[in-house]
Amino acid sequence: MTRVTKTLLAAALLVIVTAALVWSARSEDPAQRKARMTELGLQHKTATDLYRALEQTAGGGRRLAWNGMPDWSGVYTRARGGITFDPDQRPGTPPTAKLTPEYQGRMIKRIELATQGVEWDPISACAPPGHPRWLTEPFLREFIVTPNQTWLINEMVNDIRRVYTDGRGHVPEADRYPLYNGDSIGFWDGSRLVIHTNQLQAGIYQRRNPDYTDAVETVEIWEKTTDALLEVDVWVYDPPALVEPWYTRQSYSRLDDPDKSLRIRYWNCSENQNNTVFKTQDGATQFQDLTFTGQDDTKGAAK
Amino acid sequence: MSARIRMVMWLFMLILSLSPTTRLAAHHSGTMFEEKKTVTLEGVVREFQYTNPHSWLLVDVTNKDGSVTTWGFEAEGPSTLARAGIKPGDFAVGTRLSITGRPMKDGRPAATWEYAVRAKDKKRFEPREGFKVK
Repeated sequence: MTRVTKTLLAAALLVIVTAALVWSARSEDPAQRKARMTELGLQHKTATDLYRALEQTAGGGRRLAWNGMPDWSGVYTRARGGITFDPDQRPGTPPTAKLTPEYQGRMIKRIELATQGVEWDPISACAPPGHPRWLTEPFLREFIVTPNQTWLINEMVNDIRRVYTDGRGHVPEADRYPLYNGDSIGFWDGSRLVIHTNQLQAGIYQRRNPDYTDAVETVEIWEKTTDALLEVDVWVYDPPALVEPWYTRQSYSRLDDPDKSLRIRYWNCSENQNNTVFKTQDGATQFQDLTFTGQDDTKGAAK
Repeated sequence: MSARIRMVMWLFMLILSLSPTTRLAAHHSGTMFEEKKTVTLEGVVREFQYTNPHSWLLVDVTNKDGSVTTWGFEAEGPSTLARAGIKPGDFAVGTRLSITGRPMKDGRPAATWEYAVRAKDKKRFEPREGFKVK
């Protein structure tokens, strides 16, 4: 057997294993499913490898047409997980990511300080959360599907992730630079949207959660599993911080809106001076200057 | 596993077990407020700032010596308040109410808005109800 033949056989085997893992995960209980999807992440060394395997499994994916669009309409919010990245994280336990020693140490330090009341969130000065943290924010969401792009919208700071499904590839490596939401391409596998995101910038998964680095990439599989629920398999690859891909299952519920009162408005993060905070010398968060009290000149303010 | 490592892990788990559930204090951390201590005040609405990322309900509270202090109660932004059934018109200027929140640690007259009860109809308004998935 030649080397080429062996390589082709190995690739074919990987595609078969990928398909089997994805397909069998549909009918399992959540714990078994999570173990199987975690295993799928481990089978692939990089997010690109996993994405390509899923693409091969889907026969290259399909392009949507206007007369055959999935209905993801409505206003949604995160269904569970509060603001922890992994919705399966139990109260009183640390995040489920398997971290390198350096990043494990950083996370423990962050949790310890927060417990002491010392906490600073990098979005306090109105920066967007960035992806993959974007998945966790607890506000209103809309998902706009079109044949060539899908827009994943979170109302906080008018945050839109554009997923290109028109067959284009990523930006050439030489031209990449860190972006809050990165560069997302995807394809449709039946009713499932498969997304690969790279070109991201460092951030935190959430408060009391780990850091991620500029090397972070994700693969997501979005699927509407009931009339009012979108569920997402997410694999995060970030070799400097994660010793293995971090698999989580995210979900978003469509909210009841019988009187059509739910609306997503423009979100001006800096419209109210009373929300302006600064980072104290010990790293805590403090209000800058509350407009309704004169005490700010003597207590707490940065002046 | 050495005794020292076991001790460090035990201490870490103890800290985690004692830490409160992370509150949904959107945008900026809420650690400038007390974690458990609450204050309940009665007063009159001075202004309802229905804004992102946090709203503020300003309430004039008359002190025992007859002076008036304006307190600010921080809540979630408009869409979350709307989901909690709290609209700008619910707290017009002059509305009398009782309001409970976790005060600031540094003594400034500000607090989280945990819940408010409007005097005229005893209706209760709880901003974090807006995070419930319904």
